[in-house]
Amino acid sequence: MARAIRMDKKDNVATVLMDVEPGDEVDIEGAGGSLRIEAAETVPFGHKIALALIPSSKNILKYGETIGIATRTIKAGTHVHVHNLKSSRR
Amino acid sequence: MAKSSLPRKKRTCSKSKSGDSFLGFRRLSGGPGVRNHLAIVSAMDNTNPLVRRICSLRSDLIAVNTSFGRALMGEDEAQHFRVMGHLAGHPNVGAAIIVGLEPITAGAIAEAASKASPWMPIEVVTIHEVGGTLKSTSRTLELAGKLAAHLSSARRERCGLDELTLGAECGGSDTTSGLVSNPVTGMVADRVVNAGGTVIFSETLEIVGAEHLLARRAANAQTKRRLLAGVRRSLDYTEELGVDLIGSNPTADNIAGGLSSIEEKSLGAIKKAGNGSIVEVVGVGERPTKAGTVFADAPCGGVENITSLSASGAQAIIFSTGIGNPIGHPISPTIKVTGNPRTAALMPENIDVDLSDVIEKGLGYEEAAERLHKELIDVLNGKLTTSEMLGETEITVSRAALSL
Repeated sequence: MARAIRMDKKDNVATVLMDVEPGDEVDIEGAGGSLRIEAAETVPFGHKIALALIPSSKNILKYGETIGIATRTIKAGTHVHVHNLKSSRR
Repeated sequence: MAKSSLPRKKRTCSKSKSGDSFLGFRRLSGGPGVRNHLAIVSAMDNTNPLVRRICSLRSDLIAVNTSFGRALMGEDEAQHFRVMGHLAGHPNVGAAIIVGLEPITAGAIAEAASKASPWMPIEVVTIHEVGGTLKSTSRTLELAGKLAAHLSSARRERCGLDELTLGAECGGSDTTSGLVSNPVTGMVADRVVNAGGTVIFSETLEIVGAEHLLARRAANAQTKRRLLAGVRRSLDYTEELGVDLIGSNPTADNIAGGLSSIEEKSLGAIKKAGNGSIVEVVGVGERPTKAGTVFADAPCGGVENITSLSASGAQAIIFSTGIGNPIGHPISPTIKVTGNPRTAALMPENIDVDLSDVIEKGLGYEEAAERLHKELIDVLNGKLTTSEMLGETEITVSRAALSL
């Protein structure tokens, strides 16, 4: 079973603790209780997976804080990184 | 020779619980030492070879070498004297010999050391006064023998965490830093602050994107102003250099490791300081005047940063690393902690606390913090760190200006 960790209960992403492949069931641990989601695509170790649908231009939250803005609609179970997240400081 | 007698007991034993106390060398003023080093301090770059030779001739000497030290001006010169003086006059140093080319620079460092630790026996040896490097070697060894005899009768006594200043540093960061080693370091930092001690964290450029959270935690308006001014100055300087910090940080390897923005990197970095309110902002190597969580406005480079933390009085440093970094400080024992299973397996001789069980086996944060805290107490009590064992220790004093 793949695992991921959510740092704050407000977070809409979690960090995967091992390489995740499409179709893998991912157990989300950490803040906000446990949750299980299905990976929609490959997410490498240490990268982020969306926990729910994040509409375009909405905040992406980790540590309970904004780490960037969604540049397109991000579906639950997909990889969240520089291709669909942009820094709000730029 | 020695300017003062053996440090005597300043106060009675602390009543702290055993997990919140340690055995240190009590000083007549200032915090206790967790080491009792005999430091041979080079006043400037051109006396480094002499200091290295002296330290190769006795196993109980600690070399405190430096880059630069000549032809410095203004703030740069003041910073050099302050940092070298605070390293020589560090609570972990029981006695110091300042070795210089000429008496003016060596004297300025001895004066700063003596001001920081009036109880400390401090000697000065200069090539121009003694005559040549071989006579200076002989003279320093003669003094070192007497000081070593003096230090040998010091005994450790029980001290409380309220007497500790802990440095928190992160270097070689990756995604596991913000996930494991930084938050666990922060939990230990909170424990020190809650016991009445001091935690210093730093790296001004690596709070960009999280400075609003730290500003909110500032204990007063002046602290908030100084914190934000440090961030502003760093950003202005990168702009002046034509470097787009926000575009170039996170770096390519940070991005490959899963960090997507400067905010994400900084939010992870500040976890190492815990949650305490920020009581003071100090400059490079300045000593805090208050207990609690202190921010040092100092550069991010690992060696420069631990030099600043040590000069600010940190008796020990927790160094959180993701991809791994071997370095430690010669005076302030530096505890390397990682949460990255690959780093723990790849370079075990450079890691003091392996917390990869958090990722691999679901080890809880509380238990991880307990492991790190226990190691901290062991190291305060005298256990050698990996960098002390291997001699992977270095100093670099930050420059405030260019050489002319």
